[in-house]
Amino acid sequence: MRKLILLLPLQFRVLYRQFLLRVIDLEALSIEADIPRFIGQFAGVLIFVSVISALKALFASDAPPEILRGICWAVEQQHISGIMLVVGLFAVVSWDTTFPDKRDAMVLLPLPITPHIILLAKLAASSVIIGIAILSLNFAAGLAWPILVAKACAGNPLRALAAYWFTMVAACAFLYGMVLTVQGMTALLLPRGLFLRLSALLQLVAFGLFLGVYFLQPTIDNQVAMNSASNHHLLICLPSFWFFALFNQLNGSLPTSLGWLATEAWTGLALAVSGAGISLLLCYLRTMRKTIEEPDLVSAMRGMHWTPRFGSALQTAVLFFTIRSLLRSKQHRVIFAFFLAGVFGTALSSVKDAWWVGHRLPLSIDFLASSYLMMVLAVVGLRSVFALPITLHANWVLRTTQMRATRQYVAAARRTLLLLAALPAWLLAAALSNSFYPWREVMAHMAVVAIWGIILTEVSLLGFYKVPFTCSVLPGKINIQFLFWGFFIFAVIFAYMFADFEIHALHNPLRFGLLLAVLAAIEVCLWGFNRHRAKWAVLYFEELPSETITTLGITYLS
Amino acid sequence: MLELRNVSKHYCGIPAVDDVSFAARPGEVTGYLGPNGSGKSTTLKMITGLIEMISGRILFDGKSIHDDLIAYKRRMGYVPEEPYLYNHLSGVEYLVMISQLRDLPARQSSERIDGLLRLLSLYDDRHASISGYSKGMRQKLLISAALLHNPDLILLDEPFSGLDVGSALILRSLIKELAARGKVVLFSSHELDTVERISDRVVILHRAKLVADDSIERLRSMMDLSTLEEIFSQLAVEQDSVATARQIAELVHA
Repeated sequence: MRKLILLLPLQFRVLYRQFLLRVIDLEALSIEADIPRFIGQFAGVLIFVSVISALKALFASDAPPEILRGICWAVEQQHISGIMLVVGLFAVVSWDTTFPDKRDAMVLLPLPITPHIILLAKLAASSVIIGIAILSLNFAAGLAWPILVAKACAGNPLRALAAYWFTMVAACAFLYGMVLTVQGMTALLLPRGLFLRLSALLQLVAFGLFLGVYFLQPTIDNQVAMNSASNHHLLICLPSFWFFALFNQLNGSLPTSLGWLATEAWTGLALAVSGAGISLLLCYLRTMRKTIEEPDLVSAMRGMHWTPRFGSALQTAVLFFTIRSLLRSKQHRVIFAFFLAGVFGTALSSVKDAWWVGHRLPLSIDFLASSYLMMVLAVVGLRSVFALPITLHANWVLRTTQMRATRQYVAAARRTLLLLAALPAWLLAAALSNSFYPWREVMAHMAVVAIWGIILTEVSLLGFYKVPFTCSVLPGKINIQFLFWGFFIFAVIFAYMFADFEIHALHNPLRFGLLLAVLAAIEVCLWGFNRHRAKWAVLYFEELPSETITTLGITYLS
Repeated sequence: MLELRNVSKHYCGIPAVDDVSFAARPGEVTGYLGPNGSGKSTTLKMITGLIEMISGRILFDGKSIHDDLIAYKRRMGYVPEEPYLYNHLSGVEYLVMISQLRDLPARQSSERIDGLLRLLSLYDDRHASISGYSKGMRQKLLISAALLHNPDLILLDEPFSGLDVGSALILRSLIKELAARGKVVLFSSHELDTVERISDRVVILHRAKLVADDSIERLRSMMDLSTLEEIFSQLAVEQDSVATARQIAELVHA
């Protein structure tokens, strides 16, 4: 393998390594600036999901053939849409990295490197990450399910395996190729200044689209429903069904009436791959120099400056600084978007049933728990990105203009968290609660969610004596495995336990009143505690490592 | 008046500023000179309160700046050596943020921001992202931010860096004008000609130590030299510049 790698041109190898480090911005994630560690943590989470799915296959293997076929259809669709979601989110995270930016042009163009080497190195770096995602997510499930599918259809297990893996790769190539095509065409057709503005918007749209499709798409687990005229439009619009048909076509288990769906997959794949190839080539050959010639100084948008007051001048300054940082800093936007993905995913899955049924449903534990989780993800997400610095060297200005007591800075951070995280999450939950009845219980629940949001805000401010985005962060503080397990073990289980308690309390006014009183008391205590601590705290801009020398506490007594 | 009394700062045991004492008076422009690495920026950062000194005292109007750092910061404006700014903000957003952080009245600060942007030729690009600004534009933005609150003490670290000729001439006159209005102005620069033209007094550092602190006139007469460049060369330049240049040319030619 090493000999094979050494056969590749040196320029390609050097650039590939550089681009691999830049696919995901480690500076922002701060996982000890270590790409193998980050990829390892990320893959670990996907492997776990894969193992769970494989265990499901083990339990389903004894089912009668008719039922097994339905289960297999449903799982195939889930796997395809799952890998498409993972690749879609990767495309969002690595937005723009496949295309040449000004830095690439400035650094690499003066060197004797041909653009196609740069392009190939970038593609190779992205492909490696996507390949790891495919391998990890199908680590165990990609073996167990194809064999089970072969059993259900009385087919050849090896053929099913080959069909499964080809379909996974094809689905990923289709999705990533489509994203690259859209980005490339936008870059080619628009002036650079406008492209830079539109690109950030496209990134958010893509993010919402991938999540929305994943969480709202239905599962169709039988042939009759697939052939139904009412589902025809749905199947045309959802590419995961095209690739589901492609898998069955390659496996030899596709009903002839669904052959057109597989054709959609082949056509889509060809369009995506050729579109991405052409737009990438044109971008590297034609527009790379244009990125240097055209200034990044985007012409002024006159009359767009509007800064209403939200509290004191300091609170307004911190709030707007936060909004602008989130909107304009790609790293912060992407990390916060991941938490928002959780918020929207939870929100959509909580009302999915009501939407498909088409009428209101009784208030359920699922919805109650989802609304807590939305609040947790929104507040914790914003608090997490607060800790990541932006242009750390520029924080001198906040240090030289620090004229107020620390508690005022804490108050500004509190207001920002409430306005940008707790309030939107509450409004989203309130909008979704329209799918449930009775309204009295729904309103009472929304009151609990509001207090819950304020409590979470106070909890996230414990020890937070800094201005958002301005304090250095020590490497190695973020652990994806820890976050993942922490979220599932603590947040999800706790949310369901609390939801169970609340749904019973909603039927008993006394119990509900007590619940509200306890929550309000917790909130007041936390607020008082934070306020008291902030009185004596010193605002800090640098996180210092813990002492390497531990004192023994031995005192000499004369 | 700004006074430094026996101020020292060490990095890993190596002195960056060693027992430096001088004063900058209201109505005077004090030029702060020294070769690269002599400790100028470190001194200015200590005066701003950005870094701690290991010994000595810094007084402003007779009071230690650390007695009430916040009150001191209200009266101080600072232009750093490197144009570190929040690049994701636009010029006007940055200045509005500074005015809010300094708690300036909204109407007054809005007028000042508009005026400063117009006078420093940044008005047309005020809504553009700072990431697209040239070095000179960033420098002008830093100067605007430093003057926004009408400070009594103005600390300028290499303020002419990146400025075009026209803007540099404006800044020269501005420094003199501010001093004439009773402000304490301390600025560091490598442009000896500029320092000579606008400074009433110069402080020269060499290898972290103070080697001169006087008016240019007195230094000239004391050292019997005609220009600041000659004075500086004698006090703070160790290398024979002509010989070194010749050696470099020979090295790359070989």
